[in-house]
Amino acid sequence: MAGNACIAFRGVTKTFDGLRVVWPPLELEVARHAFVAFLGPSGCGKTTLMRMVGGLERPSSGAILLEGEPLGPPDRRRGMVFQSYSSFPWLTVEGNVLFGMRYRRDLGPGEKRERCRRYLALVGLADFASAYPNRISGGMRQRVAIARTLAAGPEILLMDEPFGALDAQRREQLQLEMRRIQGEDPKTVIFVTHDVEEAVFLADRVVVFSARPARVVADVDVTRVLGPARTLAVRDGPAFFALRNEILHLLRGLQ
Amino acid sequence: MTAAASVLGAVALWQAAVILGAADPVFLPGPLQVLLALWQMLADGELLGNAGISILRVWSAFLLAASMAVPVGMLMSSYGLIGAALEPLIDFIRYLPVPALVPLAIIWFGIGETTKIFLLWLGTFFQLVLLVAEDMNRVPVEYVETSYTLGARPRQVLWDVALRAMLPGLMDNMRIALGWCWTYLIIAEIVAADSGIGFVIWTAQRYMQTARVMAGVVAIGVIGLVTDQALRGLHRRLFGYLV
Repeated sequence: MAGNACIAFRGVTKTFDGLRVVWPPLELEVARHAFVAFLGPSGCGKTTLMRMVGGLERPSSGAILLEGEPLGPPDRRRGMVFQSYSSFPWLTVEGNVLFGMRYRRDLGPGEKRERCRRYLALVGLADFASAYPNRISGGMRQRVAIARTLAAGPEILLMDEPFGALDAQRREQLQLEMRRIQGEDPKTVIFVTHDVEEAVFLADRVVVFSARPARVVADVDVTRVLGPARTLAVRDGPAFFALRNEILHLLRGLQ
Repeated sequence: MTAAASVLGAVALWQAAVILGAADPVFLPGPLQVLLALWQMLADGELLGNAGISILRVWSAFLLAASMAVPVGMLMSSYGLIGAALEPLIDFIRYLPVPALVPLAIIWFGIGETTKIFLLWLGTFFQLVLLVAEDMNRVPVEYVETSYTLGARPRQVLWDVALRAMLPGLMDNMRIALGWCWTYLIIAEIVAADSGIGFVIWTAQRYMQTARVMAGVVAIGVIGLVTDQALRGLHRRLFGYLV
């Protein structure tokens, strides 16, 4: 187990200005290449947990281990995708993806262009390489951010409600894409969301948190129930609904 | 169209007032007289030389102030301690009226070029610092955090992302600050100069050459208008991605 744990929370707590955000001390392990959703009510502290993994916040006590090593400040190993569209408006779509590799000295210009092409194709933006973010839709901008983060080559992908601002159709489309990308280019993913359906559809495992302070109330192995393939047929099936309802009831019981 | 019509209307009214004798041409010469004076000043080379000197003064002081304000403003925004330490001081200085400091400037620097550059710098630097800090505060925190998780170091985040993100706002503020420079320049040139447009205007006033005074004022307006439009055009060209 220890060798398989990519990220390990060891007695992690977080307090903001005397307000407990994560309590009691969190013990949690995330396996390599697992797609884990952190699910919980808005403002429950799940984003804080994810930001701590990213190195953007520090635990008040305890430690987060990455491959057994304590985490330091943010670096390229832990890529982030934010809820708001964080693609840079002054760069084209291609420029944004290339920016993801700007600080990689190990890649030559040719390799960077090649990777850029690959990730643009992966998120379906090959035809929009020379467009500026302000001229494309919100969903496309979010795909730019995803491609940029993937191009940097992180081991861990941290996503904070990345599809929160999108309409239902684009959201579903990006969820399917996210699953496909994970199949082609597997990463350890922590996906923060307050949407039960999204969590169940996307993740291999859903960790359900209580309202603040965040405490694990359930840890659901979705893949054991639904299997690894996620298609629209799975989404419309009875097993998906049963699991979704179970978690919904669990969340309702918390309030 | 509307703008051109309103300007033409105002000029026509002005000319009519002079022709009908409603205004004494000694105090209010008509637009034609002003235009004639402008032409004469252009023809004898007086205007071009002095305008050139004024433009040179404005731009040297402006570039000096801007090149100092950008790093200081960015530092103030990135480090809370520096910001908290400098802000009261800057707030105090930026409320001091520049004309009130002219005597002090003359005592310190005499009546040479240094005084003029100093006065213009004084009027713009402290205002610009706060505007730059404000521009940087508006850079979305996601841009900064994204860059860190892409492996950027603090200095790279500053150069490659923060500066780049704030550039459009920064350039707008610079354009406005350049306008202030002209105000302070005329004050400086009226008080202590033997060249420049301000000097030309002041000299003409002494001999009651009202048309020449107004021609000088018009010349400043034209220079301001041309510069402003050029900078706006450059802004559109550089930051077209925002549209």
